[in-house]
Amino acid sequence: MGEKILEVHNLTTRFATERGEVTAVQGISFHVDRGEILGLVGESGCGKSVTSQSILRLYDERRDVRYEGEIRFEGRNLLALPEKKMRSVRGGEIAMVFQDSLSSLDPLFTCADQIMESILIHRKISRAKARAEAVEMLRLVGIPDPEKRADQYPHELSGGMRQRVMIACALSCRPKLLIADEPTTALDVTIQAQIMELIRDLNEKLNMGVILITHDLAVVSEMCTRVAVMYLGQIVEEADVVTLFEHPLHPYTQGLLRSIPTVKGGKREELSVIEGTVPPLDRIPEGCRFRPRCPNASPLCSGQMPGLKPVGEGHRVRCFLCGGEEKEARS
Amino acid sequence: MLNYIFRRLLALIPVLLIVSLTIFLLIHLVPGDPAAAMLGENATQEQIDALHTAMGLDLPLPLQYLRWMGRLLRGDLGTSYFMKGTVNEILRDHMVPTLQQTAVAVAFAALVGVPLGMIAAVHRGRAADRLISGFSTVGVSMPSFLMGLGLVLLFSVKLRLLPSSGYKEIAVAGWRTHMRYMLLPGIALGFIEMGLIIRMTRSAVLEILSADYMRMARSKGVSRVRLFLKHALKNALIGILTVVGLSFISCLGGAAVTETIFNIPGIGKLTLNAVMRRDYEVVQAVVLVVSLLNVVCTLILDLFFAMIDPRIRLQ
Repeated sequence: MGEKILEVHNLTTRFATERGEVTAVQGISFHVDRGEILGLVGESGCGKSVTSQSILRLYDERRDVRYEGEIRFEGRNLLALPEKKMRSVRGGEIAMVFQDSLSSLDPLFTCADQIMESILIHRKISRAKARAEAVEMLRLVGIPDPEKRADQYPHELSGGMRQRVMIACALSCRPKLLIADEPTTALDVTIQAQIMELIRDLNEKLNMGVILITHDLAVVSEMCTRVAVMYLGQIVEEADVVTLFEHPLHPYTQGLLRSIPTVKGGKREELSVIEGTVPPLDRIPEGCRFRPRCPNASPLCSGQMPGLKPVGEGHRVRCFLCGGEEKEARS
Repeated sequence: MLNYIFRRLLALIPVLLIVSLTIFLLIHLVPGDPAAAMLGENATQEQIDALHTAMGLDLPLPLQYLRWMGRLLRGDLGTSYFMKGTVNEILRDHMVPTLQQTAVAVAFAALVGVPLGMIAAVHRGRAADRLISGFSTVGVSMPSFLMGLGLVLLFSVKLRLLPSSGYKEIAVAGWRTHMRYMLLPGIALGFIEMGLIIRMTRSAVLEILSADYMRMARSKGVSRVRLFLKHALKNALIGILTVVGLSFISCLGGAAVTETIFNIPGIGKLTLNAVMRRDYEVVQAVVLVVSLLNVVCTLILDLFFAMIDPRIRLQ
């Protein structure tokens, strides 16, 4: 195990909404090692993006959001950091790549402008130098003819190009941690592979940690060293990628894995689906949150919420019926 | 860019042709006769006919239109049947007070409305927002004649700070006096527009504050103030400039009311009188010039947008 650069302890993120306070993320804990790629997996609305944006504290704290717990980044608790210090973390030490590159780049500024913005905030260098660096970043992320592209506006580039520009923005200050929030969802498959390749390449070159948020398990198996599976604001299972794919314990993880299409003997199998849908956050079920959709649910599951218990080396699971919790709960 | 401007100017021609034709038909097809109005009730049919021939009103309508257009192309707007001087001179004299009043109105509306709208957006849902939004609703729903009378009552009658009506030329009375006379009509005229500008600015800024690129910029470490001044304002500018531009146009149209209340010799009053007397040439000229101003105003706005937004330049 390498050196931990990010440790999240018991992070809870609550939002004030018109229908009262909603808990989007409930007591999650995980860590990221230097230079590793952690996958954060789950369906839409499970709290993946909220988790990542909580790490950078991107929500409006004067109005919308309340955090609890601790986010330790290189020893400092980010949740306790004053806004000014937090600003130097954002983009400088932890950077983020978002899902939709068209709406995430400001339409009124050129690519170079947007990359230079980060550079000029975090580093004391001249505009001319910053521009040269921006062009260099564009080259690094594999954009052909970077001199020319630098002066173009986001709408003049293709989706894949824009995503590269966004990655260039994120990496321009050599962050120690990159959070990639579904960076390829809006792209077609070949471009998707290129972007993932790029992220892995830069992860190795720059030895930065990466949190890769995705709902695509195929991507996870290709890219990640460890995986945390989230369901309804909680982590339900966490393991290294091999263990998770070969011995998934939580019924939700098993369901996710079964729902990957496979072709066996030239015959297509029927796709397996997880019954039911993710309930809204203001109607979270009692006891185990996955119980209403769980094929193995027993009366035990409705009484109390299972904890996230270790079942093996780096393998934790939140379920009464598989491993750690079982005996404890029954005794 | 030059190409874009040229194409836009070219597109003006059909617009102005349609406007001229519409106003010509409208004023000529409405019952009423300038000759009869000029000669009074006791005029005989012979006298009226003779005057018609002299004024060219006996010709068929298409021919009258062509004659008018012919003069227009030479820059000649015609002569008034009732007033002294050519229509060009009349229009120039009356346009100045209206434009001055409109300028004061739009300046007031924008200088008050834009900042208030921004404050409301930034403080969405809080007391400041509710107060400002309430104020804008009052602004939008207050008719300008009521506003004008209220202002006169307060500033002229009670406080005795500003004159209650009249118009002083800058050249004759100087800037200060001119502005003292322009302030109340300007505010009365601009008040509704201020309400609209508050609303539009608020919603434009609100939309942009929740945009993905704002979150992205924040994730890069941009400070709140910079985020607002650099990304939010530039993006909101198009929406804001649109309402400000439109408010200029509707102030030109709304000036008739405040000109009447404050007794300002502008085109609003001119038009009203000209329509009453069927002073064809004057009415046609006023409408044409106001439409021209309207179109030019839109054109200037579009050029602004093209400067701000690269996506518009491309099309």
